Amino acid sequence: MDVLQNVFQYILDLGASVFVPLIMIIVGIAVRMKWKEAFSAGIILGVAFAGMGVVIGFMLDALTPAGQGLVERTGIELNIVDAGWTSLATLAWAWPLAFLMFPLQMGVNAILLVMNKTETLNVDLWNVWGKILTAVLVIGVTNSVALAFVIAAIQMVAELLIADVNQKHIEKVTGIPGVTVSHGMMIFGVFLLPFNWLLSKVPLFDRHIDANTLKEKFGVFAENHVMGFIIGVLLGIAAGYTVPETLTLAIQAAAALTLFPMVAKLFMQALSPLSDAISEFMKSRFKHRKLNIGLDWPILAGSNELWVAVIVWVPITLLYAIILPGNNVLPFAGIINISMAAPALIITGGNLLRMIILGIITTPVFLYIATGFAPTITQLAQDTEAIALDSGQMISWSTIEYPVFRYLFAHVGEGHLLGFLFVGIWAALFVLYFKTMKARKVEDDTAEETEYKENVM
Amino acid sequence: MKRVIVACGSGVATSQTVASKVQKILNQNRIKANVEAVDIKSLDQYIPQSDVYIAITKGSKDYNIPTLNGIAFLTGMGMEEETNQLISLLT
Repeated sequence: MDVLQNVFQYILDLGASVFVPLIMIIVGIAVRMKWKEAFSAGIILGVAFAGMGVVIGFMLDALTPAGQGLVERTGIELNIVDAGWTSLATLAWAWPLAFLMFPLQMGVNAILLVMNKTETLNVDLWNVWGKILTAVLVIGVTNSVALAFVIAAIQMVAELLIADVNQKHIEKVTGIPGVTVSHGMMIFGVFLLPFNWLLSKVPLFDRHIDANTLKEKFGVFAENHVMGFIIGVLLGIAAGYTVPETLTLAIQAAAALTLFPMVAKLFMQALSPLSDAISEFMKSRFKHRKLNIGLDWPILAGSNELWVAVIVWVPITLLYAIILPGNNVLPFAGIINISMAAPALIITGGNLLRMIILGIITTPVFLYIATGFAPTITQLAQDTEAIALDSGQMISWSTIEYPVFRYLFAHVGEGHLLGFLFVGIWAALFVLYFKTMKARKVEDDTAEETEYKENVM
Repeated sequence: MKRVIVACGSGVATSQTVASKVQKILNQNRIKANVEAVDIKSLDQYIPQSDVYIAITKGSKDYNIPTLNGIAFLTGMGMEEETNQLISLLT
C-alpha cells in the first residue's frame, strides 16, 4: 500500500503539466481511443498547461509592478490580479480527480432523464470544468473531497433544471429550435431574479434601445487586443508610469489578452476526442426521446445586447474596483463579464437597459466574491503548481461565474448557522426562478408579437 | 490551402469543439483545409482571409463568404447536410 501511495505521490509531485496528460492518456485508452490519438491528446494537454503557465507568468510580470505603483501613488490596493477564466480552467483541470467529473455528469444527467425530472441532455462536456472548479473551491475552503462531489452534483442538477425552464426563452433569443444553455453561468439568474422583478416594475426602464447600431460602433472595444491595450494605458497612467513605460505596459497587456484564448483552446483540442465520444454515447442512449440539447453559452453570442452590455460594464467594473472599500481585485483578463450578461440576457428577455442596470447593481458582488476567493485560488495554484506565483502574488477571477452559488455552497460546509440560512434563501429563490421562468412563456410570446406588429406597421 | 473558420464567444471552447470535429471529418474525406477556431468579437478581421464561415449563432449580419450552421455539428441534427455542403464548397 505504501509503495502504491509513494508511486502516486511521485507522479503528483511531477506537477499538473505532467500528471494530467498521463491521466488523459490512461482515460483515453480506457475508453478505446487509438494509442496514437490518446498519446497525442495527452501531450497537447501538457502543452496547454505549459503554455498557460507562460502567458500567466508574462501577464503577472507586466501587471504586478504597475499594481505596486498604484498602491504607492494612490493607496488603492489592487494586489490581486484578475487572471480570467482560462487561468481558472487551468487550475481546475490540474486537480488529480478532475476526470471523475465526466462520469458524474453523465450519471446525474442520465438519472434525471430516466426519472423524467429533466428534458435536457447536456452534450457540452467541456464545461464539466465549471463543476471541477466548484469542487476545488469547496475543497479549498472545507478540505472535504466528499462534500466537493456532492456540491458538484447539486450544481449539475441546478444547471439542468434551469436549462429546462430557460429553453423557450433561449430559443426565442437565438432562433435555434431544440437547444438550450446548460452552462452553469445561467445559475446567476437565480440571484438576478428579485432585482429584475423590481426593475420590471419601473416603466422608465422598459425602454427599447437598439443594440445593433451600438454594437457596430463600439464592438471594437470588446476585442481582446484593444481591451488589453486600453486597460494597460489606464493602469500605466494610474501607476504614474512615463509615456514609454505606459505604452510598453499597454502592448504587454494586449499581448496577454490576445494570447490567452490562443493557448486555452489547446485544452479543448486535447479534450475534444474524449468529450465528443461521451456526448455521442449519451445521444445514442437517449435518441428515441425528444430532448433539448444543452450547449455552451456562445449560442447566445449572436445577440448584440450581450456585447453592448459587457462593453458598458467595463468602465463601471474598473470604477467599482477603485472605489469599493475592501475590493483588492485588479480587473483584467476576466473583465468582459459574460457571467453576468448571459443570464441577464435571458432573464430580462433581451431588454438592454435593464441588463445594464442589473450589471451596475450586482458588479460589486462579483468583485467582493473574487476578493474573498483569492486566497483559496492562490493556494490552489501553489499546491498544484499549475501556475507559478512569486511570493506575495495573488490571483483571482473578477467575473467568476455564478459567484453567489459558489460562495454560499463552498462556505456552508464550514457549518455556520448563517451559512445554512443563506443556502436556504438561495434554494427558495431557485424554486421561484424555476416557477417564474416556466410560467413566463406565454407572456413573452404576446409581448414579442405586439413588438413585431409595431415594427411592421 | 482553403481556410474554414468557426467562431464562438471566446474562440476557445465551443468553436474549438466544432473545429476539431470538422477537421476530423475533412481528414476522413481526404480534403485538405485548415479549420480554425476564432473569437467572434474579432470575426470581421478573419472573414476576408477565410473561405467558409461556420456559425454557432444566428447573427443579424450577412457575410460575403458561404456560411454554414455550426449548431448541427454540436447537436448532430442536420450534420450530414452541413457536411456535404462543406465538402462541396471545399472541392
